[in-house]
Amino acid sequence: MLGQQLVNGFVAGATYALFALGFTLMFGVLRVINLTYGVYFSAGAFLALALVRNVGFGLGLALPAAAIATGGLAVLIDALLLTRLRRAKAPELASLMVTLGATLLLYAVLTAWLGTEIRRFPPGLVGGAVEFGGIRISGAQALIIVTTFVLVAGLLTLLRRTRLGLAIRALAENPEAAQLMGVDAGRTVAFVSFASGALGAAAGVLIGLEYNAIQPYMGEAMMLKGFAVIIIGGLGDIGGALIAGLLLGMAEALTAGYLASTLKDAVGFVLLVLTLWVRPDGLFGRASARRA
Amino acid sequence: MIGYARAALAALALLSAGSTARAQNSEPVTLGAIEVLTGPASRYGIPIKNGFELALDDINAAGGVIGGRKLAIEFQDSAGTKEQAVNAARGLIGRDRVPLILGPTLSTEMFAVGPVANERRIPILGTSTTANGITAIGPYVFRTSLPEADVVPVTLEAAQRKFGIKKVAVLYGNDDAFTKSGWEVMKVALEKLGIETVATESFGAKDTDFSAQLTKIKSLDPDAVVVSALVEAASGILLEARAQGFSPHIRFIGGNGFNSPTLGEIAGEAADGTLVGSPWFIGKADPANQKFVAEYRTKFKQDPDQFAAQAYDALHIVALALDAAGAADPEKLATSLIAVKTTGVTGPFAFAPSRDPADNSGVVVLEMKGGRFRILE
Amino acid sequence: MFQDFLFTYQSLIDAVGINGLLALSLYVVLALGQLSLGQAAFMGIGAYSSALLTTRLQLPFPLVLLAAACLPALAALLIGRPTARLSGVYLALATIGFGEVLRIFYVNAEITGGALGLSGIPERAGFLWIYGTLAAASAGLALLCRTRIGRAMEAMRQDELAAGVMGIDLARYKLAALVASAALAGLAGAFDAHSSSFIAPGEFGFDAAVTILSFALLGGTGSPFGPVLGAVILTLLPELLRPLQDFRLVLNGLIIVLVVLFLPRGLLAWRIGRVR
Repeated sequence: MLGQQLVNGFVAGATYALFALGFTLMFGVLRVINLTYGVYFSAGAFLALALVRNVGFGLGLALPAAAIATGGLAVLIDALLLTRLRRAKAPELASLMVTLGATLLLYAVLTAWLGTEIRRFPPGLVGGAVEFGGIRISGAQALIIVTTFVLVAGLLTLLRRTRLGLAIRALAENPEAAQLMGVDAGRTVAFVSFASGALGAAAGVLIGLEYNAIQPYMGEAMMLKGFAVIIIGGLGDIGGALIAGLLLGMAEALTAGYLASTLKDAVGFVLLVLTLWVRPDGLFGRASARRA
Repeated sequence: MIGYARAALAALALLSAGSTARAQNSEPVTLGAIEVLTGPASRYGIPIKNGFELALDDINAAGGVIGGRKLAIEFQDSAGTKEQAVNAARGLIGRDRVPLILGPTLSTEMFAVGPVANERRIPILGTSTTANGITAIGPYVFRTSLPEADVVPVTLEAAQRKFGIKKVAVLYGNDDAFTKSGWEVMKVALEKLGIETVATESFGAKDTDFSAQLTKIKSLDPDAVVVSALVEAASGILLEARAQGFSPHIRFIGGNGFNSPTLGEIAGEAADGTLVGSPWFIGKADPANQKFVAEYRTKFKQDPDQFAAQAYDALHIVALALDAAGAADPEKLATSLIAVKTTGVTGPFAFAPSRDPADNSGVVVLEMKGGRFRILE
Repeated sequence: MFQDFLFTYQSLIDAVGINGLLALSLYVVLALGQLSLGQAAFMGIGAYSSALLTTRLQLPFPLVLLAAACLPALAALLIGRPTARLSGVYLALATIGFGEVLRIFYVNAEITGGALGLSGIPERAGFLWIYGTLAAASAGLALLCRTRIGRAMEAMRQDELAAGVMGIDLARYKLAALVASAALAGLAGAFDAHSSSFIAPGEFGFDAAVTILSFALLGGTGSPFGPVLGAVILTLLPELLRPLQDFRLVLNGLIIVLVVLFLPRGLLAWRIGRVR
């Protein structure tokens, strides 16, 4: 059983990490608590579902299409709500609040339009399974693991090896200095918004596929775990998000498997509180917890 | 604001109606109903509302209540939250002066609303609340829904008899009042039947990942898995179990939360072989039931579920109580309600002195096959 | 007729008062610039402890209220030290995490009734208790803002570093604010338990914390009256919008978005105690 539990945990952890990628990017770079991230997660899942069921796309087309569309949505929302506040140098709480209101609004719109029943992708969309030594990994699970690692590698390459990545990092470090050095803040911010929206959507599609539970509020449930992962991993730290996500997933699976399943939910929060107590900068200490 | 003005006018109308109660009048008798009409639990609340409306049509077509008065229902949405349920109840009692309240949908809501109605001596009738301790709230709290404590033992006993089940694993939702209460009923019933419980696992109502719990259960190789969950979690559990390669001879046995066509819709083939006890079954052959099903399909373009059926029967019961009481008076209603004996689409009905249903002979054990329920053979 | 009016709207009236207290409890920490979101958690401690004291030990209500204020205050003392180093969003998440851990405890513990919660709590908290406490707390805070303490709080909120340099004991103020916030939230919890006679774990978690935050942010955080105004509006709004059914939540969110976009300092932008 241990092997299978570790696999379960690894897959769950990959889903947490996948969710956290876009979140930590946005949080770490834009330094804003954007609560609408959960909405992108849900929107991505529904878009892909519609494309698969109504237009007949396969997953290979539906996922990127949903991601791109949601990325666009993210840019739009950022432009409508947050740019204005950024220009007016409104207090940080204001952006928190406006995204909170936007989240409530968007979830309500989604629910009013789509209803609250749970939907799932047509069965067998990603088929197949691998079994060895009493352990079973399904096609969807393998897809999640692979996608997560590919995206992490891609993001790290982007951030470390490209000019755009340099611009993003500079903006995250010191916005004024970066602009003085010629970084186009508007364009870079738009790209980060797009990327985080797209990543959130991709996470939504894959997690919706694996757990068969697509409903408007699905993003909400992930948000708290997402917070835990990005804090434990360190704000803005992509590699940290991956490791923290995997860690959390496996800790939960082992707790449920060997201790008591009632404690499963508590694991994330206990780790979060511990991290904030002992090492608020996250596992790798690359973020700064003192700056708000 | 318009809503309030309307409600105020309605209240005035009712007040003047009450003051001329002695005279022959054709003022409608308006009951209150608090159901979950928006939000996730509306999958239970909307069929209930539909059931009431269908029954309303029937009752009014047959001449109404208390010698010709039309029956009407003022629906209030609780959105699944206790605050709104309580506010709705207070509004119905204080502002609209209803003689009886139907609902609320969820057991959690009833625990908050029941005391309010009871304190004002207004009878309140739950048609879908199945947790323990509902009618213990007070002498004005009634329910027509069979408590889990009456249904689950029947299911488990049938499973034991038919499949020789000796050891089971139990899986329940631990942060919802209904599923937790269901688990407690299961615990007791399993003990009574001498079935061994090899593992007890739990999950949160919003969880979607059940792999850890199911892996553990699978490794213990039980004869069956007994699950107390609402339909979303139930479908997720069944799908995950199928994905993990649970052998088909391991039966899944569910409580009342499984009793929804949504289970088959979401879980599809993964739900095949699942057993659940129900006070009602769509294929019940008696003419009253068939008529109900046909009318429901025509009016609402979908199949009724047990919640609709129970609501339909409940309103007929209230209508009979109104006729017996002779007036839309809460005290008289409370007295006449408990004496009602009738047969509805869910079978014969009478109240026990505890104001719970007295009779569980109508319970059938259902098996899911190909996305639809059928009677277990 | 008036009796019926009171009966119909009693829960709503009580809820407005209780939410007002919660908004004040948040104001106390926000006034120092601390984004501590533990109010829902402290409310839970107050609610459960007061409910258990009344139902199990039959203690008189004033004593129960005292406990409901002190126990959360004690909890605040415990978590005050480790969280003192955190700021902004980290502090927010730490306090939310604390609240969620507590909520999971309530769900699983026998004594708190688990997921079923506690019911049958006698109605002891009436209009007078709730609004009396609210008035006293608002007045107290308003007066406080005009004193030296109030100026110190304002200084910390504007620029913590400078305030520290000026000799303000940051740690002590932060802890005091947290304790006061906890006490107020605890009282609110006791009132909630003793007016709606039924409490469940779900009322004291993340969703509740977010709701309380929205009171303060809608109403403005310049003075104690801002958050209370926000609480009044956001508590009454769902009831007023009742006729709209599904669109109710949409409108709720839309209102919040519009207010913040066009009034980023909240509805009540006036700042109390500003030296002219």
